Amino acid sequence: MIVATGITRTFAGRGGRRSTPVHALRQVDLTIPDGGAVSFIGESGCGKTTLGRILCGLEGFDGGELTIDGQPVSRLRERQRAPLFRRIQMIHQDPYSALNPTRTIANILGDPLALRARQLGKPDDWIAGRRAELLGLVGLDPGYVLPRYPHMLSGGMRQRVVIARALTVDPEVLVADEAVSMIDVSLRLGILRLLRDLRSELGISLLFITHDVATARYVGQDGELYVIYRGAVVEHGSTDTVIQRPVHPYSQCLLSAIPVLRGIEEPGPDRLIPLAPLEERVEPPGCLFRPRCPFARDDCAGRQPPLGRLGGTEQEHACRYPQNREVVAVPAANA
Amino acid sequence: MTAHLTAAEQRTRPAGVAVSDLTVAFPAGGRELPAVSHVSLDLTPGKITGLVGESGSGKSTLALALMNAVPKPGLVTSGSVHIDGIGNVLSLTGSGLRRVRGPGIGYVFQASQNSLNPLKTVGKQLLDLGRSHGEKNLRGLLRRARELIEDMGLDAVRVLSSYQHELSGGMRQRVGIVFALLLNAQVLVLDEPTTALDMLSQASVLEIIKRVHRDLGLTTLVISHDLGVVGELADRTVVMYAGRVVEEGETQGILRDPRHPYTRGLLAAMPRITGDLELARALPGRPPDLLTIPRAGCVFRERCPLAMPVCADSEPPDTLSGGRRFACFAAAGSAGATSAGHAETEAAS
Ligand SMILES: Nc1ncnc2c1ncn2[C@@H]1O[C@H](COP(=O)(O)OP(=O)(O)O)[C@@H](O)[C@H]1O
Ligand SMILES: Nc1ncnc2c1ncn2[C@@H]1O[C@H](COP(=O)(O)OP(=O)(O)O)[C@@H](O)[C@H]1O
Ligand code: SF4
Ligand SMILES: [Mg+2]
Ligand SMILES: [Mg+2]
Repeated sequence: MIVATGITRTFAGRGGRRSTPVHALRQVDLTIPDGGAVSFIGESGCGKTTLGRILCGLEGFDGGELTIDGQPVSRLRERQRAPLFRRIQMIHQDPYSALNPTRTIANILGDPLALRARQLGKPDDWIAGRRAELLGLVGLDPGYVLPRYPHMLSGGMRQRVVIARALTVDPEVLVADEAVSMIDVSLRLGILRLLRDLRSELGISLLFITHDVATARYVGQDGELYVIYRGAVVEHGSTDTVIQRPVHPYSQCLLSAIPVLRGIEEPGPDRLIPLAPLEERVEPPGCLFRPRCPFARDDCAGRQPPLGRLGGTEQEHACRYPQNREVVAVPAANA
Repeated sequence: MTAHLTAAEQRTRPAGVAVSDLTVAFPAGGRELPAVSHVSLDLTPGKITGLVGESGSGKSTLALALMNAVPKPGLVTSGSVHIDGIGNVLSLTGSGLRRVRGPGIGYVFQASQNSLNPLKTVGKQLLDLGRSHGEKNLRGLLRRARELIEDMGLDAVRVLSSYQHELSGGMRQRVGIVFALLLNAQVLVLDEPTTALDMLSQASVLEIIKRVHRDLGLTTLVISHDLGVVGELADRTVVMYAGRVVEEGETQGILRDPRHPYTRGLLAAMPRITGDLELARALPGRPPDLLTIPRAGCVFRERCPLAMPVCADSEPPDTLSGGRRFACFAAAGSAGATSAGHAETEAAS
């Protein structure tokens, strides 16, 4: 189990000395239960990748604590951290740059497996068997892919190779960061289903990071959903609750942005759009979403509303005026 | 097509585009292989047409042919592209083409997020574009640019003085649309305009496309691999597979009742926000490339759940049925519709 409490990460701004610091994560609390599915959604720049990288040990944090299987990471030495973070593997969004173009798939999987064989005290001939087994697991034909180079495979196949490579170290958690966003829509479902199957068959838990709520629903309908805005969690609850009865206006904007398939769907009656684009450089007082919120009132500029269940909601949220709105598309009457 | 109109009248009316029997080939594996094969299709004046299909299906090649801008070593081996008030674009050269690219068709290239010059401000690049088209009234050009930028909800002064890296993905995409519309294009072509954007930026870019299309009276072509984008925007939808148009018709009808098994597969493969998740089905197999497109029979047959013996023998002809066109033996069998050769199709569409 992974428990993050109050995780904070601030970057020095990129625009030289005059620029303001970027609050990539603000006091994020997050739990990934063993075998669970957790989705993390928000628009680009909201801190999703930073969180994923922190959970994988690829990035440090400035505040809060990360506890992996009961061990608080900040109190461990580098040598003790490595085996903990081995349990958490990252799947990047770009299957094109994730694989070394000069090596065959046989080598790309063979190298980490050779290391693993030594760790586990397995004989050399274990490697080829395990490699075939992993490829079978991710739905690839070993005879076809092993002799090939990454550029000879489609984006979907490459992403499957990336997943197989992550599985070589027997991870307990996969962090999938926009894992399907560079793949054709037609091929996404296959990868999403694979992630789902790995969870149900191997008990691997999943942190699914995306800006596309529909894909989060597909992989983690029985899990938890966190909506993040400018580094802060603004709504959190069961995936179904947040999608069907969102109360934070930002979540409602995200859900409204999903294209409506006219003819078979109609826009939700309360569909809405933010008042303005995100201004990353401006740090407004009070609720961070206020400048873009269609429902903001004067006192929203006061104190930043804390995450809670104001209004007796099922989910946690950070809005002073939570209200249910029907923003998700509904089946068309004549479909 | 609009010979009875004067030039002035033509400018105030949306222009129609008629593609007829277009074939574009690339050399591959030692031969010339078609990326676009005998495609006929109309862009209805004043409407948004959506062109959807997987990567490699020939969408960009088709769209570039609309401006006679197929990249080398590609070659147009058959067909014509007629634009109202311009004529057959494929027979134009030199200055004739310059009149098409910009003033005739405004084009937002795939990955145009990265197509700005990183060393020049947006304003300088807009002026360069005007100069390269011999525009004398640069002040007027800038005024138009400012209007377009503000129209898209952006701060014109800031955008004009910005460099590429200072703009977000969504802002760059909007700037791409400003470039495309700067020279008063009548036809707007957008190739994957939202593919690298997050959902919120996508939604606002789609809104902007709808608005400029309507306000400027354009004829618009939107290309996407995402049926959702096309479903949200387009009046008519064209589905492309392996260089062929496999289905075409009014968007709502296509989404409600897709006839071609490929269109059905695309729709079923979309993760959806409502309804039963278990109904979603991955599309089996993978899109073909020029070397693996079947040479005979239906190009979709290797991935098709309905394939029959006849599908391996000959290419399915176009079937016309209630304003819809599709090319599939199985769907034709259940349609009770007229099967049409190419000539009839053109006459009817
Ligand atoms: N190494 C870094 N240095 C400076 N700023 C960074 C760095 N990494 C991320 N950021 C900033 O932190 C914010 C969150 O980024 P990121 O986690 O990549 O968001 P997301 O994945 O949701 O798009 C952004 O404003 C980004 O520019
Ligand atoms: N410049 C080129 N040289 C060789 N082949 C090309 C070139 N451009 C496109 N192709 C091929 O033509 C086919 C269609 O490509 P494209 O029109 O880019 O499809 P789409 O836009 O639908 O992804 C693909 O198989 C692609 O590999
Ligand atoms: S013609 Fe045959 S193979 Fe092609 S789509 Fe129809 S049923 Fe499938
Ligand atoms: Mg990211
Ligand atoms: Mg393309």
